[in-house]
Amino acid sequence: MAAEAFFLPAAGGQRYCLFHPAAGNAPRGLGTHVTTCGVVVHVHPWAEEMNKSRRMAALQSRALAAAGFAVLQIDLHGCGDSSGDFAEASWDSWIADVQAAAGWLETRHGGAPLILWGHRAGCLLATAAAAAMNTPCRFLFWQPPASGKLLLQQFLRLRAAAEMQAGDSKAAMDRVKRDLAEGRAVDIAGYALPATLAQGLERATLEPPVAATSVGWLEVGSGQDPTQVPALLPASLPRIEAWRAAGHTVHASAVRGPSFWQTQEIEDAPLLIDATVAVAALL
Amino acid sequence: MTVQADVLRVLDDVLSLGGRSASFTAATPLLGAIPELDSMAVVTLITTLEERLGIIVDDDDIDGDTFASVGSLVGFVQAKLGG
Repeated sequence: MAAEAFFLPAAGGQRYCLFHPAAGNAPRGLGTHVTTCGVVVHVHPWAEEMNKSRRMAALQSRALAAAGFAVLQIDLHGCGDSSGDFAEASWDSWIADVQAAAGWLETRHGGAPLILWGHRAGCLLATAAAAAMNTPCRFLFWQPPASGKLLLQQFLRLRAAAEMQAGDSKAAMDRVKRDLAEGRAVDIAGYALPATLAQGLERATLEPPVAATSVGWLEVGSGQDPTQVPALLPASLPRIEAWRAAGHTVHASAVRGPSFWQTQEIEDAPLLIDATVAVAALL
Repeated sequence: MTVQADVLRVLDDVLSLGGRSASFTAATPLLGAIPELDSMAVVTLITTLEERLGIIVDDDDIDGDTFASVGSLVGFVQAKLGG
């Protein structure tokens, strides 16, 4: 079934959304819908990782829709085709966007189980949005980062790497950190990163919700032996245990595939698509 | 030798070299010689080395000399691995 593109009104303008209706789910009578397996909000990664993962996000959304899930992709404030510049976005405006996307699905498919599907920084946003909502949420995580602080550090390193051939890496990195600490935006890799956004990301953690829920935790990797299933990242194991200890059901696995959100070329990870559909059915 | 194999595998994956790294030796120049190795790729390379090999790279380590050649990068990783 064809996806519907539309703009969702939001603070400071509108957000570009792409809705993938669940397969076999034609409108009935007075605009009511047959129950879906669940509704899914896609929460994209940040900065360049979002651009690199756009193709996989679209492929996955279609695969989930074909499997009976209604999926809504939203471009967060200042990202993609939504209004505003990256420089105007804040961590809180992104959390509000995820809530608005979940609210739109609730209006359309009231009562269907809600899954927040985050990728990288999107995982951190998903848990933050869930904490701010009254609706129970399940989660699907793609390569959840150890912390927002680590993601920010990786992004700031782009500046150091860009200055490397000029031999000015250390000074450039120090300048960027000082500017952010003093509340000034910094320009990195074509993004004007506002200090408020940097601070929000830096504080973000993958915080388990209070109410017990279920989580699909998926990673892609390429282990030493191409015939073996790759292992989860060592850094993920204690965090998965922490979620389980907090009473959540975590379906965690790794599949073979490229780190498509950062590879030089746009790449596909078909095994991740299959694994995601399979785990979504368990949530 | 195994460290070099690990580093080459990461290089190939991150830069989408499609197996071209098989012909690389310690003397193969990287920074400025491989067009795919832009600043984005350098950061991804560092992140991937950290994740896969369990090393921690300091921001101060991000230096042109480290990424000059396969040999300098392997030497850097070996030093981080403690031998």
